[in-house]
Amino acid sequence: MRDYIGLTGVLFLVCAVMAASLGYTNAITHDRIQEQIVRANDEARKEVLPDADAFEILDDNTFSKIKSNGKYYFITEIYTAKAGEEVVGYAVKVVPKGYGGAIDVVVGIGTDGIIQGIKVGNNTETPGLGKNSATPKFQNQFKGKTWDNTINVIKSGTPKDNEIAALSGATVTSRAVAEGVNQALEAARELSGK
Amino acid sequence: MENSRFLVSSSPHIRSGETTQRIMLDVIIALMPALLAGVFYFGLNALTLTVTAVIFAVATEAVMQIILKKPITVNDLSAVVTGILIAFNVPVTLPLWMVAIGSIFAIAIAKQCFGGLGFNFINPALAGRAMLLASFPAKMTNWVAPGADAVSTATPLAILKGGEAAGQALPGLWDMFVGNIGGCIGETSALALIIGGAYLLYRGVINIRIPATYIGTVAVLTFLFGGFDSSAMIYHVLAGGLFLGAIFMATDYSTSPMTPKGQIIFGIGCGFLTSVIRFFGGYPEGVSYSILLMNLAAPLIDKYTVPRKFGEVKKSA
Amino acid sequence: MNLWKDFSNGLIKENPTFRLVLGTCPTLALTTAVFNGIGMGIAATAVLIGSNLIISLIKKIVPNEVRIPIYIVVIATFTTIVQMLIQAFSPALDKSLGIYIPLIVVNCIIIARAEAFAAKNPVINSVMDGLGMGLGFTAALTIISAVREILGAGTFLGMPLFGESFEPVLMMILPPGGFLVYGLSIAAFNKITSPRKS
Repeated sequence: MRDYIGLTGVLFLVCAVMAASLGYTNAITHDRIQEQIVRANDEARKEVLPDADAFEILDDNTFSKIKSNGKYYFITEIYTAKAGEEVVGYAVKVVPKGYGGAIDVVVGIGTDGIIQGIKVGNNTETPGLGKNSATPKFQNQFKGKTWDNTINVIKSGTPKDNEIAALSGATVTSRAVAEGVNQALEAARELSGK
Repeated sequence: MENSRFLVSSSPHIRSGETTQRIMLDVIIALMPALLAGVFYFGLNALTLTVTAVIFAVATEAVMQIILKKPITVNDLSAVVTGILIAFNVPVTLPLWMVAIGSIFAIAIAKQCFGGLGFNFINPALAGRAMLLASFPAKMTNWVAPGADAVSTATPLAILKGGEAAGQALPGLWDMFVGNIGGCIGETSALALIIGGAYLLYRGVINIRIPATYIGTVAVLTFLFGGFDSSAMIYHVLAGGLFLGAIFMATDYSTSPMTPKGQIIFGIGCGFLTSVIRFFGGYPEGVSYSILLMNLAAPLIDKYTVPRKFGEVKKSA
Repeated sequence: MNLWKDFSNGLIKENPTFRLVLGTCPTLALTTAVFNGIGMGIAATAVLIGSNLIISLIKKIVPNEVRIPIYIVVIATFTTIVQMLIQAFSPALDKSLGIYIPLIVVNCIIIARAEAFAAKNPVINSVMDGLGMGLGFTAALTIISAVREILGAGTFLGMPLFGESFEPVLMMILPPGGFLVYGLSIAAFNKITSPRKS
């Protein structure tokens, strides 16, 4: 019996001291960590809508109304981008299905219907092929496209206004990203009422 | 007295005249029809790639043997064979320096680091190809159609797999047999490879067991998986690197089983894996990975298929 | 002095990566970029010093029967503290190291040094040992990730080294490349640092 008290006592002591130090560290870092999380999410949106200074998630009602239309199946989040009090655009997160699985894409669309940028995030595409969709070279092709036309993917030749060139060896990935962007464009158009 | 020159051994005292060099030379000869087909369909670059691969394979072997303080055995021509096979496994558009890297990797790492000829545990040429495919995926899948202008095309297997290349027209069966299709340098012409294979069988360098069971299993399984479609089966047998792999790479002495039963199991295993990868896996072609995987299993297969010794009584369980 | 010996031990003679071959999981997974390699090395060093310090301090009162749970509690605490600090002050590092920060808890180097050294040696020596082992680990990770990043992505610490026309050897930043570079590094390390008795 004595043995157990001794063992338990030491265990309790060590755990208590360790837990206390953890609690203390948590207290001094918690706020900062929360800040970082918000900042990280906003950073991705800021990259695609550089003029905005604040992002508000779309209220549940409007979001469900948009989602109730079956054709927006890739959209997972919509944020309204504001500069001051004025709405300057929408940051739409789409998750199309690529070659190796889901691809996270954030699309920044201005209220004038022009894409200001896209950012390809987490994905499990093939390195060297589909993974290159996350490069500026590919992503910049979408800048300037508008919601007037559906974006098509071409494999060779010079892309016209409503076309983008597929990644060499990764047409499936390129098509998936374009499909996601197209849905984002349509949803943004619907939201802005134009 | 030069007593070091006298060997004492028991009968039979028969010399077979077989040397590693003679066997390798036979393999090189057997690969010539495929090389000619490659040059015929894809142009002189096929020859340049092959020569580059061979030069770097031989040079790497010599350098490695110097570093490892072993006798230099480039004369046995095994590095030449590996070089040719590596070149046969790449598209004709591959930059020369890439095939050189493939050769260096195949000989230095897959062969010499593990003990040299006879000690390698996987096929060096296939290891080189796998390394090139993992390292340079875009360039290694950039096939062109035969002919003067280098028009990018997809291989028949890529078309069958769908996705990227879906919807392109499949070439006719005769084209697939003689090699008038897109693909890697040495794998396209079934005809040329069969001629080479026949020569090797005649010379006794390879045994029919592995190629026959390998190709046979692929035929049966693709017939089944393809929905009992016999034209799909013939396509799959002629497409990709099946003939090249079954005749020249699965039969490599040090990486395949020694026992007859073992060789049959090996062939069936390769065939099974190739079909599964082609139909259910993520890649259009499964030959190289199937052979590499079966190479790993070869020692185990050998262990369990040892023939019963003559006169040995089977232990009752 | 003995302190110096305990410190330098972890650098070469008993380098955890190249000699003891411990902590191979983060070594293989995180050496795809020099930034990650150095980051993991420093994080692991911090945990190692902390846990060696505490375990050596309490070694007299730790009963033998429960020593492993106690070591794990101590190591887990330091790992969590390091994780919180990284999340608060370097989200970039947190994003690249990801799940491997909490996995420092089961990094064999730490529990091995706790059991083999800190439990039997004075506090200041244990701290030196932790520091040496941690730095040896970091150095090894840096070397391996330098090779992999330069060859596999053409960059160093994210900065491109070669022009646009450089074709990286992709395999280097994929798992096969990791095993290959690790194996060849061990061979090279042993060749350079062992006196050959001919």
